[in-house]
Amino acid sequence: MTATTQSGSFLQHYSGTGAFYDELLGADGQLRPHWQTFFQSFGKLGLSEVLSRNQDVLRLLKENGVTYNIYSDPTGFNRPWSLDLIPFLINREEWQTIESGLVQRVTLLDLVLKDIYGEQKLIKNRLLPAELVYNHPGFLRQCMGIRQPGKHSLIFYAADIGRSTDGRMWIVNDRTQAPSGSGYALENRMAMARILPELFSGLKVRRLSGYFNALRNALTEIAPSRKETPRIVILTPGPGNETYFEHSYLSSFLGFTLVQGNDLMVKDNFVWLKTLGGLERVDVILRRVDDIYCDPLELKEDSQLGVPGLLHAVRAGNVSIANPLGSSILENPGLMPFMENIARHLLGEELILPTVASWWCGQPKEMDYVLEHISSLVVKRIYRNPTTSTSIDGGTLSSKQVQELKLQIKAHPWLYVAQEKIHFSSTPSLVDGKIEPRNALFRNFLVSNNEGYTAMAGGLTRTTADLGAFIISNQLGGVSKDAWIISPEPGRVLNVHKDLEKTSALPMDPVRAGAALPSHTAENLFWVGRYAERILGNARFLRTVMQLVVEGNRRQSEDELPSEECLLQALTCYTYTYPGFLADDARQKMQDPWKELTDVLFNEKRTGGLSQNLSLFNRAVYAVRDHWSADTWRVVRGMEERWAAAIVSTQGGHLRKLHALDDLITSMVAFIGLNRESISREQGWIMLDTGRKIEQSLLLITLLRATMVYRFDDQVAYELQEAVLSSHESLVNYRYKYRAHLQLPLVLDLMLFDPNNPRSLVYQLDRLKAYLSNLPRTGAPHQLSEHERLILEAYTMLKLSDKDQLSLPGGSENSALDAFLSKMYSLLVAIPDVISKNYFKHAQAQFQQA
Amino acid sequence: MLYKIIHKTVYAYSGPVSLCHNIARLVPRDTARQHCRHARILIDPYPEVLTEYEDFFGNKVMYFAIQREHRDLRVTVLSEIEKMARSGTEINLYGHVAWEEVRRQLVSQSHTFTDAVQYIAETPMTTVIPEVAAYAQASFIPGRSFYEAAHDLMQRIYRDFKFQPGFTTISTPLSELMKGRRGVCQDFAHLAIACIRAMGLPARYMSGYLETLPPPGVEKLSGVDASHAWFAIFIPDMGWMEFDPTNNQVPGEQHIAIGWGRDYADIAPMKGVILSSGTHQLGVSVDVRRVHA
Repeated sequence: MTATTQSGSFLQHYSGTGAFYDELLGADGQLRPHWQTFFQSFGKLGLSEVLSRNQDVLRLLKENGVTYNIYSDPTGFNRPWSLDLIPFLINREEWQTIESGLVQRVTLLDLVLKDIYGEQKLIKNRLLPAELVYNHPGFLRQCMGIRQPGKHSLIFYAADIGRSTDGRMWIVNDRTQAPSGSGYALENRMAMARILPELFSGLKVRRLSGYFNALRNALTEIAPSRKETPRIVILTPGPGNETYFEHSYLSSFLGFTLVQGNDLMVKDNFVWLKTLGGLERVDVILRRVDDIYCDPLELKEDSQLGVPGLLHAVRAGNVSIANPLGSSILENPGLMPFMENIARHLLGEELILPTVASWWCGQPKEMDYVLEHISSLVVKRIYRNPTTSTSIDGGTLSSKQVQELKLQIKAHPWLYVAQEKIHFSSTPSLVDGKIEPRNALFRNFLVSNNEGYTAMAGGLTRTTADLGAFIISNQLGGVSKDAWIISPEPGRVLNVHKDLEKTSALPMDPVRAGAALPSHTAENLFWVGRYAERILGNARFLRTVMQLVVEGNRRQSEDELPSEECLLQALTCYTYTYPGFLADDARQKMQDPWKELTDVLFNEKRTGGLSQNLSLFNRAVYAVRDHWSADTWRVVRGMEERWAAAIVSTQGGHLRKLHALDDLITSMVAFIGLNRESISREQGWIMLDTGRKIEQSLLLITLLRATMVYRFDDQVAYELQEAVLSSHESLVNYRYKYRAHLQLPLVLDLMLFDPNNPRSLVYQLDRLKAYLSNLPRTGAPHQLSEHERLILEAYTMLKLSDKDQLSLPGGSENSALDAFLSKMYSLLVAIPDVISKNYFKHAQAQFQQA
Repeated sequence: MLYKIIHKTVYAYSGPVSLCHNIARLVPRDTARQHCRHARILIDPYPEVLTEYEDFFGNKVMYFAIQREHRDLRVTVLSEIEKMARSGTEINLYGHVAWEEVRRQLVSQSHTFTDAVQYIAETPMTTVIPEVAAYAQASFIPGRSFYEAAHDLMQRIYRDFKFQPGFTTISTPLSELMKGRRGVCQDFAHLAIACIRAMGLPARYMSGYLETLPPPGVEKLSGVDASHAWFAIFIPDMGWMEFDPTNNQVPGEQHIAIGWGRDYADIAPMKGVILSSGTHQLGVSVDVRRVHA
């Protein structure tokens, strides 16, 4: 069987339209040579197998938490990344042209950038109109004259290229600010290699590792004073950013600490990372924050994403940023028509890759042309406006809109560029189980290697949702593809896994190796620990109470009521969902407790409710997502999904709710267990566990106060004690240890004083004491710090107390117990505040002074 | 003429400040008509970091940081400026070039006045709203020289707008100014600049001081002067010509420039970022005195 006949069955829907160049089929309708081996392997698998693998890929991406955030997306925060299993193929000969063309272009752009912030000869020699530079918001006058170490100013570059109807590859966009997509390209390759290794067989697919190795060297190379092992951090705007997944992914892959603006500070003209152990100097910043947001002192004044004084630290030569501040001046379609001349002037070369024909309206002749041909052109501003779409397809405008646009152009001619419309080539794509043509745009990434530039031998391809659509954008729901650079002749099978392992096995940044934890990360891990235990505790107690209510319904006995009432009230205290069962209409609520219970479970707006805690937990987990292993991440995603499904089916019976709780508890236990194994950084685990121990202690005290302080008759007291023990999974323990009827002194002994019971207070405090004394010192060496004093007092108080004395009655209450618990609570609850003040350092805010 | 200038800035914070970064543009630069003999800067508390440099426009900039807890900040600049008298020959032949001709030259891309080009585009503080563009029209009648048009604009702003401190702040937009018809020197300078830019012509923002003289026989009180602002236009082959719409005069010896930019934001006397738990109060006093030889 030949490749063509084998592939014929699933390519039956595929035909070029003639309107575009087709990547797969030549003019003769036959498969182009570099696709033949691919579809041979594809044919061997069979379409149905590929489609089932497609499900695997979707699951894998979802479980790994690969997302692309859509700002203002009503359906949710994170949109799952979509990957089409059919890659975009580029043969080796063509790749050589693309590669040399892009290297030439980035070399040229680097020279232009240096000139713009240096001598400005291009402007003086009229190779570049002054308006294109001076009136572009990316031209940061504050950066004038700054030159970082290293051969190149421009470290990263990404280009969008597309194939026009003439079969040539054209450059459509230059990205120089903080180009995104390289992490998604890597993740796509990982997913493909894992799910569809067969498709790589017989093809020499170029590896991506060369790019990432060069990237590491490039960043080392620009470090101030040529440090050999500089501290490199990735600066992210935070979890709300559309490509946050990529920031954390690259952070894990490259071993660079992921930081937000307020993790850094400038002191003595140096940049410092605020860590749990104090300040650590930062040498190089890989920035994913737009340049004007990087420094509220000198750039955008109201930015909360930057570091005050950062630009001055750069000016002083004490830190380097890639790409340097000010490089967004090159994201300027107005430059396009001038690049040919500049290339001749600076390099003495012709451009290898053509750019889209462009007319800058700042020149009278060009403006006249644009005004005359506006309906056949795409009109853009010279800079990207983050709020509105930047490209206007002249052909889609009404005559009134055309008039308005013309007026705008005439008012500010220098602001506008018009470009020829390009119909991008179509390429085979898997759409709804069929292989169909879709238009594709290929993004390639280049990085300085200090001699020249290294291009990623691959990249990110995005395709249109519909054939013939002009605008390709993730925000508009496009689909991504892996891009393979291949040679047509069969060759050695590529070991993709090995390739990528090699890169990630490079030495770790000392910060990540465990020496120091950014304080912001520490804070999030601390809260992950607290929320995890809070959810676990609440879920277990809710389950106990709900089981009791279910049984109570069955028995219909009046005797049961006092203990049920008391438990429902305890539940309100325990979960902090006031007024709840303590409200004025509590009696009414208790007639049918399910309404209130369901609300506490599922209402996301209910303060203290389980759903709300879960979303707070997810937010904290997501903010430090580079700390979780793939397994942990899968557990988190699964938990989130199943809970969301449970919320939707609130109409289900009580058993459904109990199942949902069981499920949640199991997942949370798995989450905590996995972290113990997988968080490699010692301090990270300590912070998370400190949060857990604090939360467990506080919850236990709250529960004991709510159930053991008032004196009930023996039957009720017995049932309460039983509920407390069972919700703490200590009932079996109790029976085994005391072999006795439940009684207060013994219950207190087990829950407060037994060092062998992992749920006892003494057990928590023991660990807390050890953790807190291991935190980096802030005061004099011989002095106890405040948190140490607090835990020591609490621990001593517990150790000096006696179960029998605490159980002595005082009127209608166990007043000794109450006093003890309340004092204990106030000591422990102060600890998080002290830790926050001393280690998280967010007590003071950043203010503008004018 | 020789001037001694004392410019004091005081920030009083409501809570302790653990760290502050500041950028100050308080030292007058040299120009064709003034020379800064010397300038002394006193900062209290003493800053751990202090660097001086020139910005893109050639203005003198000072960056400083105070890295230990403090509750107030005082910055005093003492400068001595020698002011040269205006020679009568400044308005030369080119001063009569029509504004349309200036505009044509500057868009032609064949001129060498690349620096001036950046002062044509509107900025956040000089947005060309329709009211502003309409206001400009009356001064820019066809065929008039750019110089004359700008002079006329200065006079009209002086006539049509009332000088009233406290009515506007530095963030009041031009639309408010056009409605309220009152403001201070920054507002009038920004308005004039926006009007000129509305016509596609270059204008820049001037920051500095103006000497005030007490009525004859009265002794001058100290600290009564203020920071001042005015504007300048660019006429090819002639250079930058200044106008003061607040006082309806062409600046002469009594105007001392600190520097210039596209608008206030480029040449703000002081700005900073503090780490603190609260707000602050600002006090400024300026004293401009003639030194009699």
